[in-house]
Amino acid sequence: MHKPRGSHRLWNSGLLPCMALSLFVVSGCAASGPATGQAHPFNKIDPYENVNRKIYKFNDLVDDYVAGPISNAYRYITPKFVQTGVANAFANIKNINVVLNDFLQAKFVQGAEDTGRFAINTTIGVAGLFDVAKSLSLEQHQEDFDQTLAVWGFSKGAYLVVPFLGPSTVRGVPGVAFDTAVNPTSYVATPFQALSMLNARANADGALRFIDEAALDPYVFTRESFLQWRDNLATDGKSNAGAGLEDEDLDADLGGVASTATPKGGFLTMDKFGFGKVSHTFVLVKNSFDQTSLAFEQANSKLDKLKFSHAKWFVLPTRYTVH
Amino acid sequence: MIIKKLKPIIALLLVVLSMVGGVAYAETMLSAREVVDKFQGQLLAVMKSGKQLGFAGRYDKLYDAVATSHDLTKIARIVIGKEWEKLTEAQQKNLTEVFSKLSVASYAHNFKDYSGETFTIDSEENTTRGGVIVHAHLTIPGDKDVKFDYMLKDNGDSWRIINIIADGVSDLALKRSDYTAVLQNEGFDALMAKINDKISNYSKQE
Repeated sequence: MHKPRGSHRLWNSGLLPCMALSLFVVSGCAASGPATGQAHPFNKIDPYENVNRKIYKFNDLVDDYVAGPISNAYRYITPKFVQTGVANAFANIKNINVVLNDFLQAKFVQGAEDTGRFAINTTIGVAGLFDVAKSLSLEQHQEDFDQTLAVWGFSKGAYLVVPFLGPSTVRGVPGVAFDTAVNPTSYVATPFQALSMLNARANADGALRFIDEAALDPYVFTRESFLQWRDNLATDGKSNAGAGLEDEDLDADLGGVASTATPKGGFLTMDKFGFGKVSHTFVLVKNSFDQTSLAFEQANSKLDKLKFSHAKWFVLPTRYTVH
Repeated sequence: MIIKKLKPIIALLLVVLSMVGGVAYAETMLSAREVVDKFQGQLLAVMKSGKQLGFAGRYDKLYDAVATSHDLTKIARIVIGKEWEKLTEAQQKNLTEVFSKLSVASYAHNFKDYSGETFTIDSEENTTRGGVIVHAHLTIPGDKDVKFDYMLKDNGDSWRIINIIADGVSDLALKRSDYTAVLQNEGFDALMAKINDKISNYSKQE
């Protein structure tokens, strides 16, 4: 029943992802030396849960006292049709990124459709304010660089909660950096960036309220729904979430998102040593980045295959360009 | 003597009767697809009169609909996972009861009104473990369709829904992580208190 659209949407909404990326990369690099042992061997997908929970709580406070009230004021004073127009315009700009990732994932037909979608909405739809393409049955696809990396064979790595921005994974961080770099919104005046973030927060309002209402442990609920949702997007609906859960005797088999139950400890035992663990956790984050780098290298062969199998698509445009 | 002569006829009669009984049983037991179809119909009916019914009215109408289409006991068992064995029999019973109430309350809260939505069943497939997955989608006017995959198991009497996967997000996997996290970190009493809080919050709203 859940269609999570939580604060991860804020990822794609401005320059903050770059700041967060810098913060994490710097922190990761500062922590030198290999990780010595597993802090939480029982939770493969979320080994940095202690820190993640603290950042989650911080983000929650920011949302409660800053982002949420501003967003509520925006929703209250702005007519619905203006909100829809703003949402349409930013979604339309993001389609540049969608098209780029369509082609990077070798989805050529979808890429052509999304190009048409962008062209129609930018022209007939008055700079994207009106979603004319929808009435022409041109579906809005959701593609980003994190999904492209997944298609290229990179594993998502550990779950991360990024300050101000919310849920992500190790693979998601470079994904967001790329998406931000190619999104024109990142290069416009600050008020437009602020509006973009406001729009993203306002759109996520329903999902955030749903989490508040339904979750017993909002941190775990957000993590699980985010990871399942991203897996589903990355595999175009073939992730088979929850498969293997139909029998009680499958406890031992549960892998991936289904086995990420919170270990004892975590946030609830945030003690005086809690913050002391942060530096150690950053070492682990670095380790996780290293693992992802390894995955990048291993994916070379997959990329070669992809290029080979779609070589004709790359060759043809080149020919036309040359002649 | 007469009985001896009638023996084959009686035997034949018994076979015929048992076959008729079998057919009658098969007719009364809904297929997995029919169970989903019936439940979706009941849900839409409640949505259509959702505002007039209010939370309590929707809850009452949906209780039987959910209880007869879902295997709530099994769902509760899977959601709790390995921790289930550590609970006493009374705790298991108690948990199943409040879990059932929360499931119905959640439906009553989230499907409170109607704005032209329709459910369509697309296909069904058998799983290797003897279950059935019914693929469906919810059409919402002016919004993107939501894909629903219902996973059903035969509990001996009927096909029952044990999981719903909405746009790739598994309700069962989500609940399992959520519930076991609370159970492991805070214990059984805290879990029960949180579930009861949720039911109470839902019931306070329209």
